[in-house]
Amino acid sequence: MTSPFAGLLFTLVRHRGVKGCMVVDERDGVIVDANLQLGVDGSAMAALAASVYRKARRAAVAAGFGEIAFFELDAEHGRVCAAGRGGLVVVLVAESRVNVGLVRVEMLHALEAFA
Amino acid sequence: MTDDIRALSEALAMDPASTVFVQLGELLRQRGDLDLAYRVGTRGLDRHPQRADAHDLMARVASDRGDMERAKAEWEAVLVLSPGHAAAHKGLGFLCFRIGDWESAGKHFERALAADPSDASLAAALRAVRIEPGAAPSTRFATPPAGEMRSAVPGVAPRRADPRTLFAEVLGDSARTALLLDSEGYVVAGAHAADGGGDRGALIGAQLSGVSEEADRAMRHLGLGRWRQIVFEAESASVAMAPAGNGVLLVAAPRTAPLGLVRRILEQALVRARQWLERGT
Repeated sequence: MTSPFAGLLFTLVRHRGVKGCMVVDERDGVIVDANLQLGVDGSAMAALAASVYRKARRAAVAAGFGEIAFFELDAEHGRVCAAGRGGLVVVLVAESRVNVGLVRVEMLHALEAFA
Repeated sequence: MTDDIRALSEALAMDPASTVFVQLGELLRQRGDLDLAYRVGTRGLDRHPQRADAHDLMARVASDRGDMERAKAEWEAVLVLSPGHAAAHKGLGFLCFRIGDWESAGKHFERALAADPSDASLAAALRAVRIEPGAAPSTRFATPPAGEMRSAVPGVAPRRADPRTLFAEVLGDSARTALLLDSEGYVVAGAHAADGGGDRGALIGAQLSGVSEEADRAMRHLGLGRWRQIVFEAESASVAMAPAGNGVLLVAAPRTAPLGLVRRILEQALVRARQWLERGT
């Protein structure tokens, strides 16, 4: 039996350069569902990405910018993207070559499943 | 609640006379819980009025809350208890910086730099206030062309080398903001004008500098190398951040601005910030 998020994770993970994506509980960083390439440590990724997203979300609210719709971190060896709603966060880990504009649109579209 | 904050809170609950309130207050401040940080600091200071670090904590919290008089009084108290205290001189220097008291700012930065020569933001700030050592204060900073101050603090006379206007040319739009922050979340250059007047840069800097710390921590564990850029879209603004010097540069633009443009502005502001940090102009 697949989770309600299996379809959207499959849609995201098929993009070129995507190493994995997860639906994560924002508060605890616990994985709700995931679709990961072999060798990707989902647990660590989920907890850390959720932590950075949570920090950014709270900071944005406290700074008066309001809630975050989409978050992207660009690092030397890859990217982490996150989009959340209602305490759940879609986290995507990818190589630098990923088409971030495309995955952004699909992640924001995926959030509608959380409404 | 992070593990550190939880552990420190528990330690303080078990021993209310403990001095861990200083670390706890600072973590809360960095996280943006200014009211809680204020309460923790106030209670700690009641028990430990002779501790310089307790007054330093209260000064930082007061500064973040926009209570500059209290911040000044607390940092002055630090210097009575611990003459030459680098953080107190730095804090007082930035307070003087904000009100345009360049002479006093320069003296505080000099003393802070003597105590902590490795602080690049102090060196840059000192270069900015001493840009032409022989010139009188009134001629040191020429008035910029009309419109250059659009994104800076209202009601403050514009000056060419005023760090608050450092990114005016790059931003080109009064609704956009760029802030250069040091490693402790203090604004080194740039400004953010609030709707009702006043500079919200300190608040925004204090809140968002914590994001870069969290990103540093995550990157160490994820093996993705150093982070180069963080971009997020919030309800009212798109924000982009990048490491700059020993701190962070952040750019914010109205949500209507395309993300690609915000990134481009960040890259241009980075060039400007590096130039200023290296050369002071």
